[in-house]
Amino acid sequence: MSSSLPGLDIFKNSYEFRIAQLKEERENGIKVVGTLCLYVPDEIIFAAGADRIVLCGGRADTIPVAEQSLPRNICPLIKSSFGAVVDGCCGGNLACAHVPLVDVVVAEATCDGKKKMYEILPDYLPTYVLDLPQKPGSPEALNYFLSELRKFGKFMEGLTGNVVSDDALKREIRSANETKRLLHRLFGLRRRDPPPIRGSEVLRVMQKQFFLSPDQFRQGVGQLCNEMEHVTPDARTGPRIMISGCPMAAGNTKVPDIIEQKGGVIVVEESCTGTRSFWDLVDEDKDPWTALAERYLEIPCACMTPNDQRVARIVDLAKQYDVHGVVYYTLQFCHAYNIERLRVQRALKKEKIPLLAIESDYGDSDTEQIGIRVDAFLEMIA
Amino acid sequence: MITAGIDAGAATTKALLFRDREIIGYRIGITAFDFPTAARNMFDELLASCDMRREEVGNVYATGYGRNSISFADKSISEITAHTKGVSFLFPEVQGIIDVGGQDSKVIVVEDGRVADFLMNDKCAAGTGKFLEYTAKALEVPINDLGGLALSSNHPADITSMCTVFAESEVISLRARGITKEDIAAGLIASIATRVGVMAKRMGLKEHVAFVGGVAKNGGMKAALEKELGTILYVPSEPQITGALGAAIAAQGNR
Repeated sequence: MSSSLPGLDIFKNSYEFRIAQLKEERENGIKVVGTLCLYVPDEIIFAAGADRIVLCGGRADTIPVAEQSLPRNICPLIKSSFGAVVDGCCGGNLACAHVPLVDVVVAEATCDGKKKMYEILPDYLPTYVLDLPQKPGSPEALNYFLSELRKFGKFMEGLTGNVVSDDALKREIRSANETKRLLHRLFGLRRRDPPPIRGSEVLRVMQKQFFLSPDQFRQGVGQLCNEMEHVTPDARTGPRIMISGCPMAAGNTKVPDIIEQKGGVIVVEESCTGTRSFWDLVDEDKDPWTALAERYLEIPCACMTPNDQRVARIVDLAKQYDVHGVVYYTLQFCHAYNIERLRVQRALKKEKIPLLAIESDYGDSDTEQIGIRVDAFLEMIA
Repeated sequence: MITAGIDAGAATTKALLFRDREIIGYRIGITAFDFPTAARNMFDELLASCDMRREEVGNVYATGYGRNSISFADKSISEITAHTKGVSFLFPEVQGIIDVGGQDSKVIVVEDGRVADFLMNDKCAAGTGKFLEYTAKALEVPINDLGGLALSSNHPADITSMCTVFAESEVISLRARGITKEDIAAGLIASIATRVGVMAKRMGLKEHVAFVGGVAKNGGMKAALEKELGTILYVPSEPQITGALGAAIAAQGNR
């Protein structure tokens, strides 16, 4: 469908370059922050003169290391991430090369599994936890989050010895908004029928969003968009599908791969590795701290209650992207997204948009079971 | 046109020949290790028993767990679609299907002979034929006798384990406590009926519901499910062939 997109190679071949870049930065005294969630504002990290790299685990091979310490029945993303940190800090050879390059983990109080895992993480890496209100939308919640962001700013100043000035923050807000606008352009092109790029290809790009430096990432996305403008994709063979649900961290592409192998055409992802990271921009005219607090509390994560904005967003995206069905993806044992499915399903049902729920971990044992469900779903909505 | 449907199931392979609006013949056999070999053998046996040659058969459609490994099939379709076509042919008024097979169980919502929604059980043997197979073994009872035994129970035992492995040990401890075979059998069947019943209720099935798959041959199971759902279930005279039938109907083309 999109063999004529050489821009994808920029992302495929970026790993060694980025590792070398991080190593060089550390030699020059620049601090590297590891993050695991969209709620941690990149803007504050960069304004403090630090760099950041995502630590979310999408690979199965670090899970056995984690299961030596953590319960087996928690989400695979938490286990995989924790296993990579433990392995990376104990000189193992499983973790990616970037894990030992992290000076501090900036974690966040989102779901229960992550919060409790972050209590163990300091045994391996210095860890800072950003707190979040659980019921966004009130002035009190906003004020509390604002105070948390300022506290985080002070922490970053202490770590780097640099001041997080309003000017620096505004500069980083503009930079991050530029990335978000580019991603809107990329996703906008996918509204075409047929779309000029595969969903699994976009996912692999999005998995690099918080791995690469913003400059590298934007350069790649910009080139990709230019190429997508000019490709003539083959005729669409299957129904247009939206994926909605849990993040798919680097290494985890199982479900989109199966959907495409069965002939589904993925046109949009409502997830942390999809629209959630870039859909809303930060107000560039306001006080930068307030603007950040407002924007980050708008992220429609299932750890928030009630999460009406997510339900509305999914229905809206389904219409905007003209999808024939939604595949609701949950990581095994992710109670928040799993329970929230019912509200999403009911809202979509009103719009006569079918939903297929898939809950899975990082293993391959359920590939056939998922395959039969996807086959049946595609036949149903064809 | 004569068409064939092959249902390459995890436990059994079914082959069926279909012409216009009638079933010419069918065959059911054990799948064993090799899906393609079982499918080939079943198809050859079926052709021989119907005194037909391969050349007389038009399209062959495959369905079931091994559907993509049947090289002589022209196309494969999912079991969900196949059962819906097969059951709707036999019972046009059907609005829901419960299929309890060897490896999984499914609930399908049917609207005008088409799949409107479906649900399959988790990746686990709970609520499947495997559950009955293992627990019948722990009860030292042939699987085919389990339903009859259950029907003659007055006080069904309370089986709380959904997990097949744990249920097996639960059966052994019930035996040790002197509970009768009949009551344990009835408890096992009630346990699987509850599990499948929850799936059916979740999908909103109320009436005109068909029960198919190997487990539908079990009279005790049918009675327990009917009690659970409060409706009389439609069970075809041969409940194992609706998948193969649906595949053969799909192979007839869009009519």
